[in-house]
Amino acid sequence: METENSIDLNYLGRIGQYFIYLCKQFRMFIFQNDWKVLPMSAVIAAMVAIAVGKGLFVSMEGTFQATFALTCVCIWNGFFNSIQAICKERAIIKREHRAGLHITSYVLAHMTYQLFLCVLQSVITIVVLGLFKVKYPVTGVFAPFAFEFFITLFLITYAADMMALMISAIVKTPMAAMTVMPFMLIIQLVFSGFIQLPEKLADLSRLMLSKWGVQGLCAISGYNHLPAVMIWNKMTNAGDKISVGGGVSVKDIMNLIEENNMRDQILDKLGEANQRADFASTIDNLFQSWGFLIWFIIVFSIITVVFLEFVDKDQR
Amino acid sequence: MPESSETVTVIASGVQALVLNIGWIMTSIGCFMLFKKDGIKRIYAFIPGVREYHVAIMAEKEEEGRTYFILTVCYYLARYMSFLFENGSLMKTFWLVIAASIGVAEFVYGIRIFKSLCYVFEKSRKWTVLWAFFPSLTSLIWGVSKNFVPNHRTIVDADFDKAAKISKTSVEAIQSGITVNLTERTVTNFGKKYYLLKDIHLSIPTGHMVLLLGGSGAGKTTFLNAVTGYEKADAEIILRGKDLYNNYDSMKYDLGFVPQQDLMRLNDTVYYTLSDAARLRLPKTISTEKRTKRINEVLDKFGLGSVRNSQVGKLSGGQRKRLSIALELISDPTLFILDEPDSGLDGVVARNLFESLRKIADEGKIVIVITHTPDRVIDLFDDVMVLAKDAARTGRLAYYGPINDSYDFFGKKSMEEVLLSINQKDEGGEGRADEFVEKYSEMIS
Repeated sequence: METENSIDLNYLGRIGQYFIYLCKQFRMFIFQNDWKVLPMSAVIAAMVAIAVGKGLFVSMEGTFQATFALTCVCIWNGFFNSIQAICKERAIIKREHRAGLHITSYVLAHMTYQLFLCVLQSVITIVVLGLFKVKYPVTGVFAPFAFEFFITLFLITYAADMMALMISAIVKTPMAAMTVMPFMLIIQLVFSGFIQLPEKLADLSRLMLSKWGVQGLCAISGYNHLPAVMIWNKMTNAGDKISVGGGVSVKDIMNLIEENNMRDQILDKLGEANQRADFASTIDNLFQSWGFLIWFIIVFSIITVVFLEFVDKDQR
Repeated sequence: MPESSETVTVIASGVQALVLNIGWIMTSIGCFMLFKKDGIKRIYAFIPGVREYHVAIMAEKEEEGRTYFILTVCYYLARYMSFLFENGSLMKTFWLVIAASIGVAEFVYGIRIFKSLCYVFEKSRKWTVLWAFFPSLTSLIWGVSKNFVPNHRTIVDADFDKAAKISKTSVEAIQSGITVNLTERTVTNFGKKYYLLKDIHLSIPTGHMVLLLGGSGAGKTTFLNAVTGYEKADAEIILRGKDLYNNYDSMKYDLGFVPQQDLMRLNDTVYYTLSDAARLRLPKTISTEKRTKRINEVLDKFGLGSVRNSQVGKLSGGQRKRLSIALELISDPTLFILDEPDSGLDGVVARNLFESLRKIADEGKIVIVITHTPDRVIDLFDDVMVLAKDAARTGRLAYYGPINDSYDFFGKKSMEEVLLSINQKDEGGEGRADEFVEKYSEMIS
């Protein structure tokens, strides 16, 4: 069979190749057991719901802990989805690149497929939290809460997914990828802002998608309008052991407050005193969080393409 | 009291700096003399990082040397960063921890290199410990003492004077086939230029099946990568009358390269694997019917019709190899190259495979094959191309021509004997590569 080789345009372009690889990805979803990430995300969401679901959207401290835990879940899901996606077939990509594969088509197909996984994982997480009777607020910052919650969870998961895809394009072997992954995960957790950082290191957290994830989730949760209950709970535990002046215990004072129906008022005041500007339920805060996450997605994708363009340089 | 405490700290810092500097000077002097023994430029002994890299070269551990170089530079950078902060500050401690972490990695790479250095200098491996913990003193002893001499000189080993002369005999391009006029193929690594291939000129007509023979490191794969344009050389490659390098984007579809490993997705089916390859490699103007017909033709040709719906991972070794070849053949390329297609296959399966390749050549294609067991299928080949490492350790063309003539040329009865004659002596060969390179050069000029 004689083929015309003189005109480059005769061969399948980027869009055509994109669809070939997208179909291939979905075939792999069935044949390569990629579907396993979906039940896994349900199990992880269930564990988080059991551990911190009770305090979510109820108190400041509970919400802060739970949003951090949810951010960790999203990052874990995203990392796990694609950390080996490219490096495990690097030699195959090299062969196909030499045969005419456009790297942009290949990466875009991966991005689309990973988007599909991340959407499903975000929906699963929301449904599982609901099954565990987590009480969702009705309204978010500018739209229904469920919508904003989904978008935020999705963006965190997808940004983490793209970061893992980038790592997978940079390293040469799955073993190297799996070595780097926990290291990246711990950096995300340490610099998320959940742990109080020294002043000089605090700015580093702006480079972490975990920081923007927590900010987005806290903003839509109405964090600043929630009561702060931790001090009250701790004082309740220690009430009998501490006495003021001539033998009046802290517990007596707290009982007096409760008898006068002032408990909720005090907890609200405590909440007001501990509000954080970056967690305020404003469009600016939410869009800043989403904006940074989208920015990360774009940057990671570009880096993935750039690194993968050099796949031909791989040694045997 | 605080004043005396500060004085002690200053003195301690001074002593530490003095010891470090003396250590650095001792290491530099030691390496200066060691490099002299090994033919390495002595100035490198005084450049941090470059010195360590060349110690690794001396130990024949260049790959580790590159990492060692990077680690050394990073270590110095981390140390430098730590100096920018006050004693006791968090940032100083942070950079010191980073430096220490890099230091651990550097230490491990150092052990690997020093152990190999002991082997090169034919000394007990116990010296590795001294090198690791007291590099300054050890390098000085090794450098000064006449008892420490490498078993060969790294640089002198590549003897450019003894290497066969360059023929500069270009061949005229043929219209029906491929013409290779390769002047040289070089790589630059850490500022050093290495010659991988030199002076290869030949023409292969269509319909020929060519055996590519050569010892380990002779540059077979490098040559094929240069011919296919995957890694461009200082060369002119003319395929069917067109310059491959200048028209690579359009001509790459006219090349088929079957790698040694079966690089395919094991969880996809045979049909989809082939179908995707067809869509990627065939012109998009070809109708779906024609494309499907072509896929079925190739499946039948390689006996894969019965397993078309099986997953690639479930195929036998022979079937996988045939599928790997089918992937490249789907676009019906003029130049078809196979890197050890028979590796891992038994004699009968390998024979069948080579017979299939013969048929492809008979259809008017150029088939070039690397194999390490050529004699069992040598009757199927038209020509043999022999690449050999010359005295400068550069890949050179020692012969290209008909199989039967090659036996006379080398004075041997089999391809295995030919291979032995061109291999270096330290590889168990006869070390006659330069002789045959010059003989062939004279023959064609």
